[in-house]
Amino acid sequence: MIEFLSRRLAGALVTLALATVVVFAVVEVLPGDPALVMLGTDARPDTLAAIRTKYGFDQPLLTRYLQWIGGLLTFNLGNSHAYGTSVSKLIGDRLVVTLPLGAMALFWATLVAIPLGVFAAWKHRRPGDWGVMGFTQIGISVPNFWFGIVLVLAFAVTWQWFPAGGFPGWQEPVKSVHALILPALSLSLGEIAILTRVTRSAMLDTLREDYVRTARAKGATESTVLFKHALRNALIPVTTVAGLIAGFLVAGAVIIESVFRLPGVGQLVYDSINNRDLVVIKNVVILFTILVLTVNLLVDLAYALLDPRPRVRA
Amino acid sequence: MDSLSRRHLFGAAGMMMGALATLSVPGTEALAQGPAKDRLVIGMSLEPPVLDPTKNAAAAIREVTTPSIFEALGRIDRTGAVGPGLAESWNVSEDGKEYVFKIRQGVKFHDGETLDASVVKFTLDRLFAPDSTNPAKSLYTDIEKVEVVDPSTVKVTLKSPNSFLLYSLSLGDAGIMHPKSAPTNDKNPIGTGPFMFKERKEGDSITLVKSPTYRDPGSIKLNTVIFKIVKDPSAQVSALLAGDVDAFPGFQAPELVERLTKDPRFVVIVGTTEGEVILATNNVKKPFDNPKVRQAMAHAINREELISAESGFGVPIGSHFAPHNKAYVDLTKTYPFDLAKAKALLAEAGYPNGFEASLKLPPVGYAQRAGEVLANQLGKIGIKLAITQLQWPQWLSEAFKERNYDLTIVAHTEANDLDRYARDGYYWGYNSPEFKAKWREVVAATDFAKRDQILKEAQQIIARDAVNGYLFQLAKIGVWKKDLVGLWENAPTPQLDLTGVYWK
Repeated sequence: MIEFLSRRLAGALVTLALATVVVFAVVEVLPGDPALVMLGTDARPDTLAAIRTKYGFDQPLLTRYLQWIGGLLTFNLGNSHAYGTSVSKLIGDRLVVTLPLGAMALFWATLVAIPLGVFAAWKHRRPGDWGVMGFTQIGISVPNFWFGIVLVLAFAVTWQWFPAGGFPGWQEPVKSVHALILPALSLSLGEIAILTRVTRSAMLDTLREDYVRTARAKGATESTVLFKHALRNALIPVTTVAGLIAGFLVAGAVIIESVFRLPGVGQLVYDSINNRDLVVIKNVVILFTILVLTVNLLVDLAYALLDPRPRVRA
Repeated sequence: MDSLSRRHLFGAAGMMMGALATLSVPGTEALAQGPAKDRLVIGMSLEPPVLDPTKNAAAAIREVTTPSIFEALGRIDRTGAVGPGLAESWNVSEDGKEYVFKIRQGVKFHDGETLDASVVKFTLDRLFAPDSTNPAKSLYTDIEKVEVVDPSTVKVTLKSPNSFLLYSLSLGDAGIMHPKSAPTNDKNPIGTGPFMFKERKEGDSITLVKSPTYRDPGSIKLNTVIFKIVKDPSAQVSALLAGDVDAFPGFQAPELVERLTKDPRFVVIVGTTEGEVILATNNVKKPFDNPKVRQAMAHAINREELISAESGFGVPIGSHFAPHNKAYVDLTKTYPFDLAKAKALLAEAGYPNGFEASLKLPPVGYAQRAGEVLANQLGKIGIKLAITQLQWPQWLSEAFKERNYDLTIVAHTEANDLDRYARDGYYWGYNSPEFKAKWREVVAATDFAKRDQILKEAQQIIARDAVNGYLFQLAKIGVWKKDLVGLWENAPTPQLDLTGVYWK
């Protein structure tokens, strides 16, 4: 078990090291001059040059890469060029919005998708199954920002049960959770659909297994068969997909945060790209690489708990 | 063009919202709570990066800080005229080279420091110093020296007369800053204005509160002003409808205005801006270096159609000058819409079958809308445009700085920006000794009536030369609650003066 996990951890660290190179390269080739973005169209060549020197844009690539890595290792990420504030504070302030949003969406997605998937598999090729499949078809096709706008019109503008957008801050916990409900719902729609389908097909596979027939033959109740015997094994692919979804949620957050005016990491990335705030982009992307790698490690850990085989095989 | 009014991510979302918004929305009236009478929430579609207008060119910084936090020597009023600001009066010498400013006494900065002539000298020296990184440095390089005459008098000497100096010294770029707080003004702006900076949540909001040390406390009716960042046009509408935002002085989605016009809770005020939307043309690149080609294009542009793509907002222009300015002359008929003439001119220029060119669009709503319409209009005389979408930073580097473009659409939002036609190496590559001479006269004019006359001639030169395609003047669409009084109808400068704004 320890060996299995340490191998996975080593793999993750190598991935991370490679990711820093890729991220740095991509950010550096972004067309656009941060100094020009700062000073605008009336800027003189001498002021532009002064800004480039001030922020070190004129340093050689390798120096800048090493400075960045050094900063990452010492947890000193430097200051945002656009805002002037420290990058770690900027990211920290945004994470407290995006992480709960993602967690709520993921929680909501699993809560709805797994029972739905089990239900659909149980009602295989009957109206219940068709209904669920129809729903997932819609869930996959509807863009989540559009769903978000519909939710706002219905629940915020017409009925005013929820705020139309914005985030009060965690000093007001109840209001904050309240503000995240609609965004989390819109963010989770597509994920519910995908996860439901994966659960359904995984359940259909396991329901055909011999041990399920054995369980039924020995007179186990339908719920024992479904949830104790079939679902536990079906959960392995479901967990994998849920882990992947965590990555997609980050991408979705960029859009959903815009619709709901949430000051989250997605908006930070979007704004930083527009401002060519390179130091922020680099660090946010690496942070999310770390986050996704961590989720994948957790998924590996979950495999090990759900299914003893990887521990041995590894 | 520093409005940098970026188009929001999701035009599609906006359109969909538009469609949905036409459905009736019952029940909002009863639930909309009355706003607190001393608090104003202003929606902004762009977020200011730093909060120091001397460090960054973004228009949003000026909206938040000038003159609410930072005041300048002069103050631009709602008509665009310059009146006394931190200077209560000034004298200009006969030759236009010496300005003596009388500095207002008893003015305190928000941190308790006192304003005097030395503080003014510090601010002005920073503008044109060799190591100045002020985004508008070029406006101040005619200044030779700044001297403290006595604690309430400052003398500014110019190398050569500059008839725009007072205006330039009234901009946020010349906001008076104290040496003590200047280094940290980007995060914690401290000025002399009616409001003090309280807090900022990046990506979300900026809060100002009434300054207890302001010299005229009676003029300030609001205790708290919150600038709320709402980028997405559909989210702007829902923020207004849900009562989260009281006012959008610069509403960015003309296609969604109709929904708000019908709502009895809001007023929609359409005013003017300094933003000329032009089809910027690369005058040094073939075939646009041929005046006949540019004239042909001018004849093929149908401004009415372009304005209807803006949902009817905007005023046609025939030169690079704002119609509300008193020196304006109507030149829209210089090259009237006439396709036959346009084709004939193209044939004369050697392109009877037209040609292909690229149109690079920045991510702003008006450029996106006008781009599609223009591609269609020029297509009718055989000019086939391939549209490329650029992000702002790309546009700035590729089209503006490197001049790697054929045509682009952009709004030039500064006042007095005809001077760009006199600049060497500017991105449209216009080089006319005649215009440069004319512009030198404008700058050197000491008599404003005479200056207006020369400005008219200057407009005519660039209209005649069809340097760029002149499309329309951007409208300022303001939407706010109907019991809110005092917000400016027009935007003569990208500033937001909140003194005198109150709830009925």
